[in-house]
Amino acid sequence: MSSFIANLILATVRMASPLIFLALAELYEERAGLVNIGIEGIAAIGSLVGFMISLISGRPGLGVLAGAGVGILVNMIYAYATISLCAEQIVYGMAINIFAPALAAFIYRVYFGSGSELVQANLMITLKQALGIQSDNFFVNLFLDQTPMVYIAFLLVIFTGIFFTKTRAGLNYKAVGEYPKAAATLGINVIGTKYLACVICGALAGMGGAYLTTCYSRTYVDGNIAGRGFIALAAVIFGRWSAPGVLIACLFFGFCDALQIRLQLVNSSLPYQFFQMIPYLATIIVLAAMGIRKAGPKSAGQPYRKEER
Amino acid sequence: MKKGKGIQVLVPVISIAASFLIGCIIIAALGANPLTALQYLYKGAFGNVRNLGTTFSRATPLIFTTLCACFAYRCGVFNLGGEGQFIMGAVAACFVAVATGIKGPAAMVLASLAGALAGGIWAGIAGLLKVYRAQNEMIITIMLNYVATLFMGIVYTNWLRDGSVPQTVAVPEETMLPSFFGMRATIAFPIAVICGIGIFYYLFYTSSGFQLRAVGLNSVASRVNGFNVNKYMLMSFLVSGAIAGLGGALELLGTQLRLINGFAVGYGFDGVAMALIANLHPIAGVVVALFFAALRVGSTTMQTATGVPTSVSDIIQALVIVFTVAGMAMVKLPGFQNRLIARAQRKGAKA
Repeated sequence: MSSFIANLILATVRMASPLIFLALAELYEERAGLVNIGIEGIAAIGSLVGFMISLISGRPGLGVLAGAGVGILVNMIYAYATISLCAEQIVYGMAINIFAPALAAFIYRVYFGSGSELVQANLMITLKQALGIQSDNFFVNLFLDQTPMVYIAFLLVIFTGIFFTKTRAGLNYKAVGEYPKAAATLGINVIGTKYLACVICGALAGMGGAYLTTCYSRTYVDGNIAGRGFIALAAVIFGRWSAPGVLIACLFFGFCDALQIRLQLVNSSLPYQFFQMIPYLATIIVLAAMGIRKAGPKSAGQPYRKEER
Repeated sequence: MKKGKGIQVLVPVISIAASFLIGCIIIAALGANPLTALQYLYKGAFGNVRNLGTTFSRATPLIFTTLCACFAYRCGVFNLGGEGQFIMGAVAACFVAVATGIKGPAAMVLASLAGALAGGIWAGIAGLLKVYRAQNEMIITIMLNYVATLFMGIVYTNWLRDGSVPQTVAVPEETMLPSFFGMRATIAFPIAVICGIGIFYYLFYTSSGFQLRAVGLNSVASRVNGFNVNKYMLMSFLVSGAIAGLGGALELLGTQLRLINGFAVGYGFDGVAMALIANLHPIAGVVVALFFAALRVGSTTMQTATGVPTSVSDIIQALVIVFTVAGMAMVKLPGFQNRLIARAQRKGAKA
């Protein structure tokens, strides 16, 4: 196998992982009838807090946990406004997209000052490094040279798939997204499920953001999420609201990201920006090609008012 | 529903007050005196004619992106691509101003038209996908923002590069927009305000504007009434994109003069935020954009005088939107409405 293709596959897995966290975050949210376009913003604050805690403690794992925590906190604002106050979900998601990155940028300025020198934190070590394996075989690299976050991402996909299709709790959860009033008459706690969805979504989106500063890049810069939160939204649509579909979609978008990075390194005659456009153009083309079929949860985007029967 | 109107103005005002209060707490926590900081903030934005001109100049692009968002959302179309459309407008204007050799007022007009056209086309891509492929316009417009930013990158690093520096050649002096009463702001500022008034007139005083708003409120009912829903949706994309594109062209010709890394960063989302705070009212949008521009210009003075970082103003802006949107939802809750009605009835009974 040529090294170009081998590197491409390895990069695909690395670039798909943060998308998997973000897309699963959105999947849990939409399955409970909530459309949250604010995951880009939650990922931004998760990315910063993950970076800071990882830098202070020297332990990237702690950074990821902190990213999840702050993601939950920020998403609770969204939860209260959309579930309890019945604010429009799209509009409030946008408010979170404006609020959370501003907060992240502010904290960074205050904590690190405005010095131009970028602070660097440790990255999470891979299983291969932890086991001290020396081999440079492709399959060793593919299966062992990954950070724990990658394994967690793929395990979460399997868990989510089983949860939504094979368990009673998962079916109840989906009922809230499909037809909340019927779910309520069956004794399912609709409001509680929606809040739970926001906790899960916040944690996963925060972790997805933290991935970028604990597993991918040693530095934090404003705007480092670079639209991944929105590509994750596309991945949920492209994956038809199922866990395996979302995985395939994330691998595809991860591949596009990997491809642009590899092509930039190989080619020097075209401006590099052409290659950087690939993931964004691919998202547009995929959505356009998918056409008018609609599949998502039926009540997604609708406010749920207990009083209205 | 006369009562509702007063509350719609009250909610943003209370939100702004609450956000400033939190902003003051943050300033105090950073070890500065909030009152002194606010004083410098005010002086920096309005203290003299020069600063006022800077505030107008900073407000101009924000007014355009705010109007872009207002216009689209009034038709129920969530155009998040103001930034990309703004950038494409500036890129088109840059080509006209720098690469064609035309100079003077003719170039100003041509470049502005090219900018509006480019912005409209850029939004039109999303519009066509929304209308004919039923695609999510939010994701498409955001993706187009990134594509536009990268495209602008190609223009300033390759095609129109100015020697060794990664920026485009400057707009020739003859093509620079004339200043507004000798201030730092250019005539782009009154054009922006006139745009706002024009959109206000169109939306609320023409039958076409009424139909457009009806589509935004209830597209199914509008279709049943025989309004051409697809036409209005597509038109709202094209017009909102053209507004943003015109804004980009005027920003390039009047203020920035070159395309460079960081041009227009955040203007699109700022416009969305301001349109929402203004409750999608174009005139209110102009006022809100002026307010936030003042906050930003003033915060630079505040930073030099007190050491409080300028990003405090971003936090205040973000808090305003978080509070406003939640507040507007709260006053619409059935419980809140019932209380309002009960209070009105009590007052009626007393009288």
